[in-house]
Amino acid sequence: MTERIKSLLDRTFAKEQKKFRRDVDWKPLLDKFIAEGVDDETRARMGLEAMLAAEEPAFMEGETIHFLRTVKQIPDLHSDAEMDARRAAGTAFGEKGVVFNLTADFGPTIAVGLDARLDEIAARLAKAEAEGDAEGVNFLRNADLSVRAVLGLADRYGIEHVPHKGARTLHEALQFLRILHYAMWCEGEYHCGLGRIDQYLFPYYDADIKSGRLTDEAALEELEEFFIACNRDSDLYIGVQQGDNGQSVMLGGVTRDGKNAFNDLSRLCMKACGELKLVDPKINLRVDKTTPLEVYEAGTELTKEGLGFPQYANDDVVIPALQKWGYELEDARDYSVAACWEFLIPGVGMDINNIDAVSFVGSLDAAMRGASAAASYEDVEKAFFGEIQRRADALVKKYAHVEILPGPFVSVISTGCVARARDICKGAKYNNFGIHGTGIAVAVDSLAALKDVVFEKRLVTLSELVKLLDTDFAGRPDVLSAAEAAPKMGNADPRADEIAKRLIAFWGHAFDGKRNDRGGIFRPGTGSAMYYIWHARDVPASPSGRLRGQPLSANYAPSLDVPVKGPISVVRSFTEPDLGPVCNGGPLTIEIHDSAFAMPDGVTKVAQLVKFFVERGGHQMQINTINRETLVDAQKHPDLHRHLIVRVWGWSGYFVELDKEYQDQIIKRVELCA
Amino acid sequence: MTGRVFEIREFTLHDGPGVRTTVFLKGCPLRCAWCHNPEGQSFEKETMVRKDGRRVPCGEDWSPEALAEELLKNADIMASSGGGVTFSGGEPLSQSDFVLAVAALLKPKVGVAIETSGYAPGDVYERVISQMDFVYQDLKHHDADAFRKWCGGELGVVLDNIARLRRSGVRHSLRVPLIPGVNDSEADRGAFAALAGGSPVEYLPYNPAAGAKYPMLGRKYEL
Repeated sequence: MTERIKSLLDRTFAKEQKKFRRDVDWKPLLDKFIAEGVDDETRARMGLEAMLAAEEPAFMEGETIHFLRTVKQIPDLHSDAEMDARRAAGTAFGEKGVVFNLTADFGPTIAVGLDARLDEIAARLAKAEAEGDAEGVNFLRNADLSVRAVLGLADRYGIEHVPHKGARTLHEALQFLRILHYAMWCEGEYHCGLGRIDQYLFPYYDADIKSGRLTDEAALEELEEFFIACNRDSDLYIGVQQGDNGQSVMLGGVTRDGKNAFNDLSRLCMKACGELKLVDPKINLRVDKTTPLEVYEAGTELTKEGLGFPQYANDDVVIPALQKWGYELEDARDYSVAACWEFLIPGVGMDINNIDAVSFVGSLDAAMRGASAAASYEDVEKAFFGEIQRRADALVKKYAHVEILPGPFVSVISTGCVARARDICKGAKYNNFGIHGTGIAVAVDSLAALKDVVFEKRLVTLSELVKLLDTDFAGRPDVLSAAEAAPKMGNADPRADEIAKRLIAFWGHAFDGKRNDRGGIFRPGTGSAMYYIWHARDVPASPSGRLRGQPLSANYAPSLDVPVKGPISVVRSFTEPDLGPVCNGGPLTIEIHDSAFAMPDGVTKVAQLVKFFVERGGHQMQINTINRETLVDAQKHPDLHRHLIVRVWGWSGYFVELDKEYQDQIIKRVELCA
Repeated sequence: MTGRVFEIREFTLHDGPGVRTTVFLKGCPLRCAWCHNPEGQSFEKETMVRKDGRRVPCGEDWSPEALAEELLKNADIMASSGGGVTFSGGEPLSQSDFVLAVAALLKPKVGVAIETSGYAPGDVYERVISQMDFVYQDLKHHDADAFRKWCGGELGVVLDNIARLRRSGVRHSLRVPLIPGVNDSEADRGAFAALAGGSPVEYLPYNPAAGAKYPMLGRKYEL
């Protein structure tokens, strides 16, 4: 790392950027929107214009890639009352209602420049006017003004060439990307992914190297500066917890025509992250059965640093799964992740990948209570699947009519919106909704335990067990012990794994034939997002022996506090099910003790573990390197551990910045290889 | 024939090449003051009591066939990574017939290694190490009196076996667990290097959590 980068890094950690910040009260703007009845599209444009006009160019000493947030608040475009009225009238929204969890198609705009995009908008506007397409005209006029607002701020920054014209060098491309990404946040979008930067930035890198303009070291320095910039404003980005900001990058994989896409820039991006040790951007790495061990080793070097990434995605599973869901092969090959792990095609996907979740633990609890007269284990499982189906159907109904609020600027940098003369909120090529399935392992362990305790050992009847769940097994330590001793998912025990296979097979087809009113499908997944905390609050104890109040495991991982033989068995269990049908995303999440890397070949061994997961048909995996003592100490002495990074659910954050509930859950996770 | 095992741990990263599982055999003739696996010392089954009051049985009897079958469930990744199984303990040489029987079942498919104090009769030692791909031989002290005091045994037995190990030609490494104030001075290092006679030596840092399991057995960690 050069002295300049080191200095920028230190000052970013010291939060020097905060000295430029100020508060702006946007209420007068909102009042104006309401008083004048301004339409959604125009509000979005006017909000962006106001935001960018309020921004002051700010420069940190030594930086060459600019754009820094100075205004803390982004304008609210709608009042709560307005949104509530729309909900009451039957419209559903995904989270806040705006475009979110989305990766734009940065590459083409970086290539041609915004002036060229303005020409394109003007030509299309003339056509829309001629056709009398009022909606198209309104969108295109607002799109035009949005682009001009972004150019205006760039001019005030005094940035030359880009973003007016297309980038000629890697440095210009990175500056351009910074501007586009920054503008999305200012427009009100959030969880804005960066996508496949090693693909769309590669031509600039390659040309610089070939022409001798850049050495690899100089390219690394430019990438590092850009990555540091991703950490400056991130505390202003919306998320459930600090760090949950969706700045994901996808590296490697294959090109749209199916050729190996892992290149020198992919490698350089990983190297930059390893040197900087920052939470952003969060690296994802696409692999398949042909990926050589050395690529996994390069990834594991980051894991070793405790960054909680890369998160691996397996092309052999994901691409065919996306195709089965109707994605064209070339698009499927171009997949990235939305914010955490939800697979998304940048530019063409307006999928809402995390619109809701089904609680498997809650479903099982409800099913047991409704089936207390069940004569056999099979009856309980059937009732459980029936409850899942009922909840899935309810979600289909709940999201029959979803509206997304417009984003004229993000539409310009997404594929085809200008040509269609429609905002991306009206739909893109893909308009699917993703539904998480939470608490898989606790549900499987619970079924295995109740099968054992109720139907095989016959220690209690089902209705007695249900009563015990309400009292945390009070008075029946024998039942609790038997439940704890029953088979668990993660031990390569077919008695649990067969249940998991049936559950995931059922879940994978729970939405077959269902469509939303955008023509999209519902994609089930194995992720949890923050629901692993929320859903745990809704249920009493579980038949697995989980007591009331104990959290669920995040994503696709063994239950907390469950003794497992080790990570090989965990991988074996969690790759037994066919994961294609649940490919909305949701990684196997494992924790490895940091002493695993004390020996020189620790990196190779952990890399072999990931490779094993991929070869066995796993879809997605993330690994935390942690040390329980360090985490406990960090709770007591946060000042001494400000840089301690952990993987939370689909993103890495600073441990000391998390709420205690999330900290405690991480401490309780199964720590392998102690 | 059965063997008594107190733990089977997957993906052990410090016990040899490749992806490995380590089998911890119960019972040991030595009583090293710094032993971090006190539940491996007694040959009898025991019960460990966790802080929260839960009782964990410790010690399970396996037939060689059943144990080999369990271990070979991971033969695929062990073989592809150049790994295998490591016998540890306790003192695996105290159950040498069992170890040899299990090793014979494993060897066609995966590698086998042993971690031993070397505290066993010479013929037993030779018979077992000749079947191993790799041997981690402990070298706990260089001084006979100190070895008697801290480990409760005769150093000569170990040194004779180390000589057998070198003559055998089996790949090996000598491991010195560094214990503050016991064997970690510069002078100690010199003495260990002299004893090693050219065999590779690894110095293992003291594990500050070594005493963690003693209270679970109702015992006190004396070091």
